[in-house]
Amino acid sequence: MTAPTCREIQPELSLLVDSRLRADVEVRVREHLGGCAVCRGVLADLDRLRRATRDIGPITPPDHVWLQIAGNLRLSESSAAPAPSPHRARAPIWQWAGLAAALVLVTVALYLAQRIQRTPPAEPAPAQASSTAPSGSVDAIADELNLAAAHYERALAELEALAKTSASPVDAAVATEVRDSLSAIDLAIAESRAALASNPQSEPARDSLFDALRRKITVLQTTVSLINEMRSGDPEGAQRAAETLGKKS
Amino acid sequence: MTARLELVSDDHDGERELARLASSGDERAFERLYHAHAGRVFALCLRMSGTRQRATELTQDVFVQVWKRLASWRGESALSSWIYRLAVNLVLSNVRGEKRRHTHEVSEDQSTEMGQGLSHMDTAEARPASVPDAIDLERAIAALPPGARTVFVLHDVEGFDHRQIGEMLGVSDGTSKSQLHRARMRLREMLADRRATAESA
Repeated sequence: MTAPTCREIQPELSLLVDSRLRADVEVRVREHLGGCAVCRGVLADLDRLRRATRDIGPITPPDHVWLQIAGNLRLSESSAAPAPSPHRARAPIWQWAGLAAALVLVTVALYLAQRIQRTPPAEPAPAQASSTAPSGSVDAIADELNLAAAHYERALAELEALAKTSASPVDAAVATEVRDSLSAIDLAIAESRAALASNPQSEPARDSLFDALRRKITVLQTTVSLINEMRSGDPEGAQRAAETLGKKS
Repeated sequence: MTARLELVSDDHDGERELARLASSGDERAFERLYHAHAGRVFALCLRMSGTRQRATELTQDVFVQVWKRLASWRGESALSSWIYRLAVNLVLSNVRGEKRRHTHEVSEDQSTEMGQGLSHMDTAEARPASVPDAIDLERAIAALPPGARTVFVLHDVEGFDHRQIGEMLGVSDGTSKSQLHRARMRLREMLADRRATAESA
């Protein structure tokens, strides 16, 4: 019986590292190792690699992943059908960036809307508490909305960049429509916020802010469908969505 | 599932209650479950897919599925195992789809070729190595060919045995062993190259 070569022995070294080698094979492998520095080196490396791999652990996902999951859950609940999985179909990265940013903002806006709804109406209470609570909520809302809006602005810029390079006039119209709609709503949000800051007890100002936020959510949800239409290469569908945007804003 | 997977949560009663609340629509309870398990699920998705973008998408898919199916978890196994199994199945299903698109299917024939493809290691110098840095290791794992990466992650990182991996991937135990050895040898080579580059710099 001829002595095994390195080529025959090396595939067995992984099993040796895992203590999964049959006893008779192990005897042959160890005999070879006794006279072969190359295979001893390979075995030592595989053993180090095995130990190092045991030590690698969990990796924290980016913060926005939860927001996107929450947005997906809410969208699928509201449509009574599972939201389309973002990776099923291949799409240019800008489209998913836009969709993801829109979902983030929809989610944040939904949170905000719920928080506003949960804010208790003005009622007899210690003067300090009743005057600071709504104001604090508005500040928190402003911070979160600004953060979310920054995400959306980036997505919108990408949408515009595409519109400029695309031969389709629909894309340019879509980008303009979305921006105009959002500008009008943002103005309403800013006015309502200013009114609330000067009079935190003002129910009309609160209602107005809530209404503007709801409109922004609607525009963004429509924008998500619009992006989907563009992704699927349906300019007519995108045009219809753009027209809907005009009506909803 | 393996011992590794059972170590995730010690508070089974608390987790069971969170799962009950989440399955009845309590999003805050679900968010807590998400934060408890997202790290392991994201790590699995990242190591199996090789890119953060895909890992992010897969992690979202996994937890949307967990939300939808949570009511079917009966508590016979740890919730972590249930979530993890769901994640593995979803990621594998996705990986299989990718392979079909890119014709990287794991096959018995390929595994034989892989064994033969290791011949260049016969002449490789034995280079004593230090324990690899975790970041280098993660990068090297991401650079593995898809089939070898899948088997390596399932076996060496997640602790599945070759029989389980064979069942999951629809290949023989022998194919799983060949793929694992191929992955380890490729990693050894990549890590040695990185070390050599670092030393020369």
